[in-house]
Amino acid sequence: MTDLRPAPEVEEPPAIPASEAEFGVIDWLRWAWRQLTSMRIALILLFLLALGSVPGSMLPQEGGDEAGVIQYYKSHPALAPLLNHLGMFNVFGAPWFAAIYLLLFASLVGCVVPRTFKLAGSARTLPPRAPRNIGRLPHSASYQTALPPSSALAVAARVLGGHGFRLRTSGDGSAWLSAEKGYLREAGNLLFHLSLLGVLVSIALGGLFGYKADKLVVAGNAFSDTQSDLDEFYPGRLVTAADLAPFTIKLDSFSASYITSGPQLGQPAAFNAHVTYSAYPGGPKRTDDIQVNHPLSVDGVKVYLIGHGYAPVFKVTEANGQVVYDGATPFIAAASGNFLSQGVVKVPDASPEQLGFSGVFVPTAVYAGGTLASIFPAADRPVVSLIAYGGNLGMNSGPTQSVYQLDMAGLKQLAAQPHLLAPGQTWTLPGGKGAITFVGYQQWASLTITHDPGQLPALLFGMGALGGLLLSFLVRRRRVFVRVTAPGPDAGLGSGPGPGSAPGSGPGSVVRFGGLARTDASGGFEAEFASLAAELRAAHEQQAPQQETGD
Amino acid sequence: MPVPRPKRKFIVLAAAACAAVLAIVLGVTGFGGGGSPGVTYLDGTTNAVVYHVGHRPLAPDFTGTTLTGTPLHFYSYRGKVVVLNFWGSWCTACREEAPTLSVLAEQERPKGVSFLGVDLEDTTANAMAFIKNHDIDYPSVGDPSDTITLSFSSVVPISSTPTTLVIDRTGHIAGAVFGQITYSELTAMIATVSSGGAA
Repeated sequence: MTDLRPAPEVEEPPAIPASEAEFGVIDWLRWAWRQLTSMRIALILLFLLALGSVPGSMLPQEGGDEAGVIQYYKSHPALAPLLNHLGMFNVFGAPWFAAIYLLLFASLVGCVVPRTFKLAGSARTLPPRAPRNIGRLPHSASYQTALPPSSALAVAARVLGGHGFRLRTSGDGSAWLSAEKGYLREAGNLLFHLSLLGVLVSIALGGLFGYKADKLVVAGNAFSDTQSDLDEFYPGRLVTAADLAPFTIKLDSFSASYITSGPQLGQPAAFNAHVTYSAYPGGPKRTDDIQVNHPLSVDGVKVYLIGHGYAPVFKVTEANGQVVYDGATPFIAAASGNFLSQGVVKVPDASPEQLGFSGVFVPTAVYAGGTLASIFPAADRPVVSLIAYGGNLGMNSGPTQSVYQLDMAGLKQLAAQPHLLAPGQTWTLPGGKGAITFVGYQQWASLTITHDPGQLPALLFGMGALGGLLLSFLVRRRRVFVRVTAPGPDAGLGSGPGPGSAPGSGPGSVVRFGGLARTDASGGFEAEFASLAAELRAAHEQQAPQQETGD
Repeated sequence: MPVPRPKRKFIVLAAAACAAVLAIVLGVTGFGGGGSPGVTYLDGTTNAVVYHVGHRPLAPDFTGTTLTGTPLHFYSYRGKVVVLNFWGSWCTACREEAPTLSVLAEQERPKGVSFLGVDLEDTTANAMAFIKNHDIDYPSVGDPSDTITLSFSSVVPISSTPTTLVIDRTGHIAGAVFGQITYSELTAMIATVSSGGAA
């Protein structure tokens, strides 16, 4: 073991400096840049981008599904912190995702910019000179015509020009013609790449100038698209409070219907949030129904319906009858259980002490084995079960509290048992602490407000990319060449005039026509070439008699 | 083995262009308020802002109903210095600052300073319980759907509750506290506005 170690140390040092001397920092940078801008790396990055967004759609994300993340933490206590560390709950904002995104962007820029110059160049350049030996091209044909070479060439130019070929003639009187067609292929290729860039820029635009917000609104209430009124607000990097669309939405009512029979009993059939909105303060009021796949569009902002639930209405009075709380309180449905929902009521201004209630709302209540369960999501037989607490809610100082949780530190349970209430029933709390009435219930809808200025450009660029891709697949670049010579023994046709006759001096000429497809993935050039050759020959034959009579 | 270097200049340019793009994309973060002219921060904090004369945004007018049911037109306060407090009974910081506001309202009233509340996202019953509990004796306009706040947020960046604005006699916003007020901040603002001073 010990003998083996010195050996590499002796052998390697001469090798490394030698290669470093040739391959310096600049070379490494250039190598890295070439790698980055290669098609292979771009494809790998694109694949990684797709792969990276998989956890974004599989796992609950912090931006959109806060509750889902909390739920995931509960059900996977060991795995969740690890995933969180890897940014799996905020994939699209994670540094590794940004790294893929930015590298892909750099790769595409590095790929497209040189291509743009290349295309601009190739769009201007003419086809190459016709090869000397046309017969060696993949496709070729030759025939004799009675036309003199110059006229034969002119006819060929007219026919090929009529087919949209770009032509090049010798210019020095020698009888050849080059023609090329299919420049659209490069244009399509370029369109595809530029559109991909456009898609990325559009997404960045959305990230900078877009915003997303969540709002839970109880039926009968209204809210405004202003930062202080939104439950969650995720602004783009360049969005300020004054950039929000100044609309106000009132949830007039919310209706949910459920399947009432069959194996899908209790599954949702339809949700409908009936809203009245105005696009700006004092603006005209309009009504709309927001449904799951039918967002409201207002002032360039989309408002989606993403959830719903129940908000039981409670009224809390002090012992002397003074009302200290009256309002609908949103409860959150458990993941399963037919909208069995939980929530809390905080009464910070009650006396002699602050009151808190932790409750369960059961839309269609039954007792099963001594416990309360909901057998249907609609509120057919609503009941609340409340646990009452008295003391200090912790709301008079300290950090902002969750409206769905009680800070138990300063609270004492007032009664040993939870208390059940049907709508209209009142529970008088022990010890003169007051009373709570379950007045009834409202429904709430949770809305997601998104403004993404990059959405439309992204769609357009996406269509552009698709169009470009189609063009580059369907259009072939192909070249054809024509050489016209005076008939002679070298013409190889055997029936020409005698040897030594100068070009153009004979009564006719030999037309050699050849072609090749530069890119022929889809095939079919052979047929095109054959039809071109036939057309050329026909044109020459048609012209020949006229030429003769003209002589 | 010789390495061909025909495109070195181009590669350097391209890399520089990429770096520039990245810098633009990444660099836009963190440049929030650099301090506009005519605006200063009290105590070096960004949540207490003083707008100097000539740089004061005009407060939008609004009408509403007070929690006790009286119609209120904000324009009728023109000619007075007004402390406009956006609050809600559900808001912890509002509860924390309520005693200070109550004391200040009583203390400043003889000097002709009016206090007015805008009660956000609340029910009247809950808000009235708050007012009774905290001995607030100035009126509050109910704004359950934040429409008044919305009209103000196009003028001053109200991002959370509470927010307190000090409005001068011409109806222009002279000072703003975004978040919980302190006694010293608010008295300093009221004093400068009452005296007609700039800062």
